[in-house]
Amino acid sequence: MKKVLMVAVLIFFAAVFPAFALDGNDILKKVDRNLNPETFEMYRKLINIEPDGSRKEFVLYTLKKGADRVVSLFISPASEKGRATLRVGENMWLYIPSVGKPIRITSLQSITGGIFNNSDIMRLDYSAEYNCEKIEERDGQYLLHLKARTRTVAYDRVKMWVHSEELLPAKLECYAASGMLIKTLHFKEIKDFDNGIVRPAVVETDSPLHKGYKSVMIFAGIKRKKLADEVFTINYLSRVGNLR
Amino acid sequence: MVLFACTARAGEYDFDIPGIKKRPYEIGGNLETRGILHRLNRHGLLYKTKYYDASESATRGEFHQILELNGRVLVGPLRARIKTHSEYVETYRHHDLDHELYEAYLTYNTSPAFTLQTGKRVFKWGKGYAWNPVGFVNRPKDPEDPERDLEGFTALGADFIRSFGPAGLQSLSFTPLILPVSNHINQELGESGDTLIAAKLYLLLYDTDLDFMVRLGPRRPEMYGIDFSRNLKENLEVHGELAYLRGYEHKALDDGGKLASETSNAFSFLFGLRYLTASDTTLIFEYYHHGEGYDSGEADRFYSFLDQSCRNYLDTKNQQQIDRAGKVRQAYLRDKNFMKDYLYLKVSQKEPFDILYLTPYITLIANLNDGSFSVSPSATYRPVTNLELTLRTIFPIGGSMTEYGEKQDRCRMELRVKYYF
Repeated sequence: MKKVLMVAVLIFFAAVFPAFALDGNDILKKVDRNLNPETFEMYRKLINIEPDGSRKEFVLYTLKKGADRVVSLFISPASEKGRATLRVGENMWLYIPSVGKPIRITSLQSITGGIFNNSDIMRLDYSAEYNCEKIEERDGQYLLHLKARTRTVAYDRVKMWVHSEELLPAKLECYAASGMLIKTLHFKEIKDFDNGIVRPAVVETDSPLHKGYKSVMIFAGIKRKKLADEVFTINYLSRVGNLR
Repeated sequence: MVLFACTARAGEYDFDIPGIKKRPYEIGGNLETRGILHRLNRHGLLYKTKYYDASESATRGEFHQILELNGRVLVGPLRARIKTHSEYVETYRHHDLDHELYEAYLTYNTSPAFTLQTGKRVFKWGKGYAWNPVGFVNRPKDPEDPERDLEGFTALGADFIRSFGPAGLQSLSFTPLILPVSNHINQELGESGDTLIAAKLYLLLYDTDLDFMVRLGPRRPEMYGIDFSRNLKENLEVHGELAYLRGYEHKALDDGGKLASETSNAFSFLFGLRYLTASDTTLIFEYYHHGEGYDSGEADRFYSFLDQSCRNYLDTKNQQQIDRAGKVRQAYLRDKNFMKDYLYLKVSQKEPFDILYLTPYITLIANLNDGSFSVSPSATYRPVTNLELTLRTIFPIGGSMTEYGEKQDRCRMELRVKYYF
């Protein structure tokens, strides 16, 4: 009888105060897993579009393992081919074949030009970089107020709108520590990639700092893949292409 | 509902991603045209000793046509790579076509943790941008053009990698190298029959890159080094290098004007940082102490000797004066920066005024011992895919008997057009 009473009380509170049942960080972790498996490979096309409509495209092969290791290899255009980037936590390196050695880069730099910076291209799990401080629910979406866990994270604060049913992001606003809006990311074109991966296939970004310009990331070939830890080291950067 | 709405928008983008299908071979390269205009410093000692027999002229042009080809073949665990460099040069004095094999090596790896490698390969040890005191198996860089492609050395080597947890020691790698010297390979490293051994131990420790390196071999100094690099903030990186050379040969003019040689030991070090501002301005700053370099007294004797040799030649037309000056000049200017203490600063602005793919930059290299410096305002523009345009200007500034004051150019302008395929 006592048990039944307690369950009834819990159901009552959950119904009356639904926010009590929500944990922003749990939602963030689910968003991460819905966007991609823990360990996987994928291809991405990056398009920088100028106000006059002219565009520049890059194709990257990317591998990710766990929450905080990601490596990307440029496979086109010819001028960028063989460049590789590695991220381990907040450490980032760029390998340029002609330079011949990996050099440390920072998350706010951009190796492709345009609005995407290095942290957008070598994105870790959101839950690895951000802590959810506040959650709101409105119009079928959650609004997560995220704060960077460390000062080396590219954006100090992020507002993330999440589709409450699918637990997939709809929009992100990225802010500097000063409160200035740096860019907005729009997640579009939800697509079934097979292997149970259903996620947005397009991310568009624009920035008040670059009015009229737009950068787009298109995802393809997302697949689970077993990867050795040694793949995510600077000595392996020149050989990442062997894994394709 | 969301799924339905988004599917309705399908077709806005082309989902066809080229290059996904992997081929067992790849071929590519680049074609570069480089035009250089020299405004000569006819009062400079380096001009006088080099162009002593040339007709008087304030400017000279130079033209380079460069073709580089890259090839890669992958067969199971074996990978072969080749890189060629062909350069046609035309100056007022001569024209020449030269072919070099920059790289030609084989690697064998059965797992990401172990790789065997043999052949000619470019090694770039060190964290510095303009200089690398620990670059024991690197070709020397030109600080005025540090990103330029260079030729490799022939070596037999291996690469062992171990990865650990996310904290403390995160990864480790060990790279031992054997560098043989013969009449055809690695002549810069010793005499035919010599064999050098070099090794590098890399650690990613508490989010810091750490390298320990050594190079040992006959007739060359023992070299020991350490370097580091670390991101302090999301927009700030610091790096440093320390090298100890034991038993290097220091050639300098003695009081009697003779080129004397003595064996010595030296520490060289570098400290640098990269900083990115909120407005996308990147600063690269480095301080370099060149332990094997010449002090102010030795440099003064060098310039006085060149000056006296030029005067003697003009008085006597004795070719030996110039030949001797050439030998001394070669001994002193073996390194691109031959004195002790230098500063490097590069400030680049990404895409100013919303002009995509344009990066103007200015570089300053200062000799702290004699106060001379060079300033280089330049810009790189990549207007369309695979095309890169670079405009560089270099202004050496300094008084007489200073490194940049005595350079053979008063200024230099360079236009490079590079197409990748």
